[in-house]
Amino acid sequence: MTRNLRQNILVYALLAVVLIVFMTPIYLIVSSSVKPSPIMFQKPPAFLFTPTFEHYHDLFAMRPFTKFIWNSLIVALGSTAFSLTIGSLAAYAISRIRHKRMNDVAFWILSMRMFPPIAVVVPYYIIFKSAGLLDTPLALIIVYSTANIPLTVWLMKGFFDEVPLALEEAAAVDGYGLLATFWYVTLPLAAPGLAVSAVFCFIFSWNEFLFALMLTGSEAQTATVAVMSFWSSDAVQWGRIMAGSFIILIPGVIFVLTCQRWLVRGLTMGSVK
Amino acid sequence: MAYIRKRNKRIFLIFLLPAMLVLFLTTIYPMLYAGYLSFRSYDLAKLFVPRVFVGWSNYGEILGSSEFLHALVTTFKLMAMTLSVQLVLGVGIALIVTQKLPGMPLARTLLMIPMMISPVIVGLVWLFLYFPELGYLNYFLSFLGFDSIPWITSTDWALWAIAIADIWQWTPFVMMGTAAALQSLSPEPYEAAMIDGNSRWDVFTRVTLPQLKPVLVSLMFLRAIDAFKIYDIIFVLTKGGPGDSTEVLSMFIYRQSFTFWRMGVGAAASFVSLVIIVVLITLFFKSLNRDQVS
Repeated sequence: MTRNLRQNILVYALLAVVLIVFMTPIYLIVSSSVKPSPIMFQKPPAFLFTPTFEHYHDLFAMRPFTKFIWNSLIVALGSTAFSLTIGSLAAYAISRIRHKRMNDVAFWILSMRMFPPIAVVVPYYIIFKSAGLLDTPLALIIVYSTANIPLTVWLMKGFFDEVPLALEEAAAVDGYGLLATFWYVTLPLAAPGLAVSAVFCFIFSWNEFLFALMLTGSEAQTATVAVMSFWSSDAVQWGRIMAGSFIILIPGVIFVLTCQRWLVRGLTMGSVK
Repeated sequence: MAYIRKRNKRIFLIFLLPAMLVLFLTTIYPMLYAGYLSFRSYDLAKLFVPRVFVGWSNYGEILGSSEFLHALVTTFKLMAMTLSVQLVLGVGIALIVTQKLPGMPLARTLLMIPMMISPVIVGLVWLFLYFPELGYLNYFLSFLGFDSIPWITSTDWALWAIAIADIWQWTPFVMMGTAAALQSLSPEPYEAAMIDGNSRWDVFTRVTLPQLKPVLVSLMFLRAIDAFKIYDIIFVLTKGGPGDSTEVLSMFIYRQSFTFWRMGVGAAASFVSLVIIVVLITLFFKSLNRDQVS
């Protein structure tokens, strides 16, 4: 055996260990969601079994899980639309204004998403209670925008920076106003950025748990809170939990598989190019 | 640049305004409100006690209580545990998956999946693995010769149980950032080092690591900021227990505010956590600016 071949075998062996460790929990969610309850914890684990859809049936037929998914969708789409509109306008301004304080403004906006949610949940609770907004999707849409607007601004700024100014100047010469230039020239060129920002905003809102738990009750409850409620000390309904978990993780997995190259930029806030 | 005239500049500021306004109302205002609450006795369990100004007494209470200090120490302990493992594992895995071999891009993609999973789901699947008597983790470990570990029911192990779930979810983040940085390194220093006859380890420590350092520092700051906020996984796995072994700062605030309904004390603790996070964020931005200058 050559030195190179031996090295490659070692690399693949290590990779196999890593993949097994990191993929097992995901495999468990998928397999447990279609495993009959009696063999849920059977050891050694059953790899081959007749899949059952009873847990999914329970989820949708016995609980109003459709309603919770619907709530999650409304909140996620609402917050995404709101954050993209406001965030991309601000990002455009930050990208075009040449001023030495502009960097500070950008950092200030970014820092807004780094604060611990738990530190503001008490004020939110009191404010929304007095405004009569507790247990409404609107409350969550507002709250999630605090994280989604900074993310959108930061991502879109990068995309707007890459749009050649010459194109905008040409449009200005043709008599386009600033808004028209933004709408017809710049925004279409930054469309991939809009798509990436939209997906990040959507997934953040879809996955969020803390605020959803504190600020909603039976009406506006989202899917993540509903799945957690299948956990009770007397009887843990693992089948339903796993079936619900699988449904919740679908958007994130699709995102990773289709546009993983944008993940670096979105998650590291541009500190890694 | 000529077309960005004075008039346009004003329009740009109007573009910026809605975002600033919304962020002010939804982030700064609640924080100021937390600051206001922290100087009041706001006790929802005692309905008929007026919500009076109490000066620094809420702060005095938390800073003097061993519970709060314990929560603070636990938060930093958990941060140290997760960050150190994530750094070593993340860089190690990045070195594997950036090899120019077939299948590596797919492996990189698969390994990114945990980051996009809701933390609650991460908590639930690890609860499934840790579950006393039934969970699969101890069963798997028994093949490696380990005794059964009481993951979430023992004060010795509960914090590690949480750390492992967090490490599982976020090691991919360090891996991803490091892999991206490794792929953008220029090859020349390596060739020179290899010609000089250095061992692989020497090349890694003397050539690769120094070049990776700025990226690793940024990644660690981002992880530290997140680790400081950790909440969901703990809520699902241990709710701060057993005893107070996993009660981090966010669980402390949660319990004071929503279990004991002592909003004033909760707000004071929130404010202390805000101060700490501001320090972390400032250090992070300083480190970013330094990179950009150099």
